Amino acid sequence: MRVFFSCGVTSCRALFGWVNPYVFVPILVVYPIAQILFFAYLGRSAGVESDAFFLIGNTFCAASVAAMFGMGQAIGGERRFQTLPLLMASPVNRLVMYTGRALPTVLIGFLVAAIAFVCGAAILDVHVGRNEALALVLALLASCFTCAGLGLCIGSLGLRGRSVGLFADVMAGGLLIVSGANVPLERLPDAVQSLSSIVPLTHGIEAARSVAAGAGLSQIGGLLGKEAGIGAIYMTVGLVLVVLFEREGRRTGAFDRF
Amino acid sequence: MIRVFVTGVRLQLLQLMRSGFDISAMLIWPIILASIAFYLLDAKESPHLLFAAALGTAVMMMWAQVIVGAGGALDNQRVFGTLELLVAAPVPLVSTIAPIMIASGAFGIYGLVVTIVWGRLLFGIPVTIDDPFAFVVALLACVIAIGLLGLIAASTFILYRAAFALGVSLQYPVWIVTGLLFPLSLLPAWVGPISWVLAPTWGFRAIKESAFGGSAWPSIGMCVVVSLAYLAVSLVCLAYFERLARDRASFRLA
Repeated sequence: MRVFFSCGVTSCRALFGWVNPYVFVPILVVYPIAQILFFAYLGRSAGVESDAFFLIGNTFCAASVAAMFGMGQAIGGERRFQTLPLLMASPVNRLVMYTGRALPTVLIGFLVAAIAFVCGAAILDVHVGRNEALALVLALLASCFTCAGLGLCIGSLGLRGRSVGLFADVMAGGLLIVSGANVPLERLPDAVQSLSSIVPLTHGIEAARSVAAGAGLSQIGGLLGKEAGIGAIYMTVGLVLVVLFEREGRRTGAFDRF
Repeated sequence: MIRVFVTGVRLQLLQLMRSGFDISAMLIWPIILASIAFYLLDAKESPHLLFAAALGTAVMMMWAQVIVGAGGALDNQRVFGTLELLVAAPVPLVSTIAPIMIASGAFGIYGLVVTIVWGRLLFGIPVTIDDPFAFVVALLACVIAIGLLGLIAASTFILYRAAFALGVSLQYPVWIVTGLLFPLSLLPAWVGPISWVLAPTWGFRAIKESAFGGSAWPSIGMCVVVSLAYLAVSLVCLAYFERLARDRASFRLA
């Protein structure tokens, strides 16, 4: 438990260079709110969907950015600051270490999304009832977990290469469209629609939009189960990848390369 | 100074072309943003609107590359310990920082090509440029104006070690208030005057007018005017923030 929490806290502090927490505000508060407004106005201009559609979609994307970049950099950042060899030499249990690092990214993703949602709803004048809040929170937590899983897969690449941010950036960009966050899925080509069913966020966003449209918790249980299930698969694949890449990195002496 | 400037642009372009992050970001993001716009606007009913969206996306990428890419470039200088050397060089600081911004803006032309090719191949948008000469001039004016707007932001990047974070946060707000993908009439009236002082507004208008047959020259003229204003402001800001950073000895803080 000590390793689990200390790994999480230390990694989180290092992630933001929290000598001073001002880095949090521009990237994780201003950016997602501006993103929500941008796509909401684009939707208004095109006459497609409501503000609530874009508010929910981009709120979930905000959570994904925090979770994926956070988890990716929690491993990739070690290489940048040349502490990766020390980390790999430590005798701690890898499962505990990586899941300990995943927990703060899930929580930060949730916090970021909550701030973005509240501010975005206030600016766009979107109302969500108190009764719907619990279901929205559950949908968001499930999506944050899934994104942390994908982030772990991305972070594992940091054991082999330098540009973790590159993969996280591409994934985060792809999710804007593939998850249906900003384009109704029925407008996308069939191949993209098929892909959307196995990427993070899709089911979480669908669940949240159903809640906003009046569905109850019992009606979105299946969607939440799918989102959490996909998250569990990504998390498992990520853990397998870090083990494999650690072994490969030791063999090729890749931990010191920068 | 001219030699320093030209060498700086050349070095920055070489770095950008060696950077997997910048190359792929400039390949992927225009495609994503343009695709969202194309799918929302509906390709069949309004092909010319889609071409305008493609041009808007290209200008968005220029701004993104300047504000995020250049912020990242300055962050890297800080991490690698070369920012101090850059500041200590016996030439005005503007001649070493401006090339980073201008080259980043110019790299955005690659985004324009990607967007147009993508739109043409997948959505069949009509790519017809009414006045090619004015289009090229508008493109250059847009690159320089956006690069110099970035120079003002860069002066704060010299001081703060969170340059990349600040750059990222400035991306969407400028996209919104300059009306690159949707008309400003959708926004509150007070946004209008803000858009007048931002280079992407005039750059986009100039490029769009030259492509669609309007008169691009007034907008090109505005690009020149705001560029000169940005240069004047950035010279003052750079001098002030450089002094502040020297006083705080913060160039080395990564």
